[in-house]
Amino acid sequence: MTSKIFRSIFITAIAVLAATLIIITSFLYDYFTDNQVKQLRDELLIASAGTETSGTDYLKNVKYNNFRLTWVAGDGTVLFDSQADEGVMDNHIDREEISEAFETGTGSSSRRSATLTEKTLYEAVLLSDGTVLRISIDRKSGFVLLLGLLYPVIIIVIIAVIISAVLAHKMSQKIIEPLNKLDLDNPSENDAYEEITPLLSRIHRQNMKIDRKVSELNRRKEEFDLITKNMREGLVLLDKNRIILTINSAAINVFGTDKNCVGNEFLTIDRKNDTRSALEKAFSDGHSEVRVQRNEREYQFDISCIETDGDTVGAVILVFDITEQADAERLRREFTANVSHELKTPLQSITGSAELIENGLVKPEDMSRFVGHIRKEATRLVTLVEDIIRLSQLDEQTELPKEDVSLYEIANEVCGILRDIAEKKNITLSVSGDIGNYFGVKNLLFEIIYNLCDNGIKYTHDGGKVEIDISETEKELTLKVSDNGSGIAPEHQARIFERFYRVDKSHSKKSGGTGLGLSIVKHSVLYHGGKISIRSGVDKGTVITVVLPKR
Amino acid sequence: MRSRFDEQLSILNTEMIEMGALCEESIALASKALTTGDITLAKKVVPISSDIDQKERDIEARCLKLLLQQQPVARDLRQISAALKMITDMERIGDQAEDIAEIITYLEGRTAEETVHIRDMAAETVMMVTDSVDAYVKKDIEFAKSVIVHDDKVDEYFDRIKKSLIKMIAENPENGEYALDLLMIAKYFERIGDHATNIAEWVIFSVTGEHKNS
Repeated sequence: MTSKIFRSIFITAIAVLAATLIIITSFLYDYFTDNQVKQLRDELLIASAGTETSGTDYLKNVKYNNFRLTWVAGDGTVLFDSQADEGVMDNHIDREEISEAFETGTGSSSRRSATLTEKTLYEAVLLSDGTVLRISIDRKSGFVLLLGLLYPVIIIVIIAVIISAVLAHKMSQKIIEPLNKLDLDNPSENDAYEEITPLLSRIHRQNMKIDRKVSELNRRKEEFDLITKNMREGLVLLDKNRIILTINSAAINVFGTDKNCVGNEFLTIDRKNDTRSALEKAFSDGHSEVRVQRNEREYQFDISCIETDGDTVGAVILVFDITEQADAERLRREFTANVSHELKTPLQSITGSAELIENGLVKPEDMSRFVGHIRKEATRLVTLVEDIIRLSQLDEQTELPKEDVSLYEIANEVCGILRDIAEKKNITLSVSGDIGNYFGVKNLLFEIIYNLCDNGIKYTHDGGKVEIDISETEKELTLKVSDNGSGIAPEHQARIFERFYRVDKSHSKKSGGTGLGLSIVKHSVLYHGGKISIRSGVDKGTVITVVLPKR
Repeated sequence: MRSRFDEQLSILNTEMIEMGALCEESIALASKALTTGDITLAKKVVPISSDIDQKERDIEARCLKLLLQQQPVARDLRQISAALKMITDMERIGDQAEDIAEIITYLEGRTAEETVHIRDMAAETVMMVTDSVDAYVKKDIEFAKSVIVHDDKVDEYFDRIKKSLIKMIAENPENGEYALDLLMIAKYFERIGDHATNIAEWVIFSVTGEHKNS
């Protein structure tokens, strides 16, 4: 700003100065020339008078300042010259002023010298004796005159520079000061130049616009953070150089890292080959999925490329924990395999017996045994299918009718049914504890107690005991079924509630049962919102505790 | 100029992590093959090992180019020279994992018996390799130090395995070849542990500028 102002002031000053100088010089030059011509004529007049009276003597004695006097005879020969030797001088008859003087009585002319820096003025007059007296003076041209002024001009320029600089500084300060003092945060409250008011109001509008945008961005960022923070799925955003831009807390847990990994390469938090190749695939094909195992859980990574105008700008990695899903899938596969196996075994046996009868290979006295066998296997099938139906009902969570029941009564009922079997194995079956009033599905509660007792009897040696104990508090009901049987090894305890899971892998028919009993128990307990737990050890007996909340 | 150099260094870092991950994978596969007796797993180690060799050559070329063209000093020089040393150890790990895998194919499906502790040793070694690569990735000195401490444990396992194998041969001379194969495997694991220790030491060097053996 200052330099710009300085430049304009300086250029103005110099231009004015130069113009003035040129105009004045040319004016003065003309004036001086006129003056000089007049002076020359005067001098010539005096000299001609002197020459006419005294001739050469006068010319020789006269005092010449800058003048040069030349006396030319009628034929043009030089009679006298004040500066040169008249003997060597040319004939002057051709000279403009002299020939003019011969003709008209007076003559004048001016000639530039060879160097152009000087100009010579001539004036001539015809004397009465027919000779011509010429006077001349050398004078410098305007350019030389200007050159002579160089020194003062330089001083003036220097002064102009100094004055311009000071002025420019002062002026720019004065101009800029109110601009510097502008409060751009509140542009409309300024009282500066009127000229910048449109600018200020525009800034004001833009400020408001920016404020709005910033607050909107902040809000969106907060929203985004909040969403990603509470997401159960892991989310990682990468840029095109695979550098982590965002990572949410779920993903931090999965990759076992911390917030500081933002800004590092994705490779630094997961360098396993499977993810790396999935990432490469996503960057080349746009999308990829991979199932990986981390921290003994199973995850699915969905990786999608982000593209803008055909350019890859980054990638999103979504991490799903599919451990439960994978487990469920495994269970379902196992269940299907088990169901087919369990259904096939009795059918095989029925087909076999039926074939034997059909072919007449069975003696009449054995007939009833074979038919009985078929009936037994068919019953087993029915039980199995009933169990499966019950389980699928529980799976479907269909609403079942609830009523007020007493667990104690149900337990007694169960004991009544199982007493025969228990007595065969010489097992004492006992019920103790509170009445256990409960509002629930009677069928399911019956299934719970029946299956637990049935199992207890099945896996208890002869002469053992199975006890049912019911206790009641205000909030919950506790049903404990304990036996002193063979017990369950710790590695099996977690799995006994799975469908068709058998501790005894041989699926022996010896103990009977469908392998679905405990599964039904578990689902029935869950249906009532309860919990089931097991305490057991090999040959230490088993205590299964069911806690049902009252509502 | 500097930004280009930084970019080169970051590529070097990425390649180092990739090579480390390959090492982890090969040793983990070998160890899994040993515990499950799955020969197909053991056979997967061979291509990984050749990947590791290729990576070593790439990284070596990159390091030398950086040293010549950029003439790095101080921290950058340490990073590059440490990388040059580390890749040799990583390459050895890859080779030894391949050797283990080769022996496993000779075992014809027999797995390492639990009494011999070779599974524990394998698990410990796999962990050491993983931790040493982790230490490099995180440039974490404490992590690197813990790797060095673990090496004693692996050495101890080796002694125990040696003794139990001697006992095994004494009791069942027909198991001699099997026992010797296991001994070789144990020795390779022990060497891998040493290489992991070396890597950890070079990680410490690249961060602090001090190397244990100097």
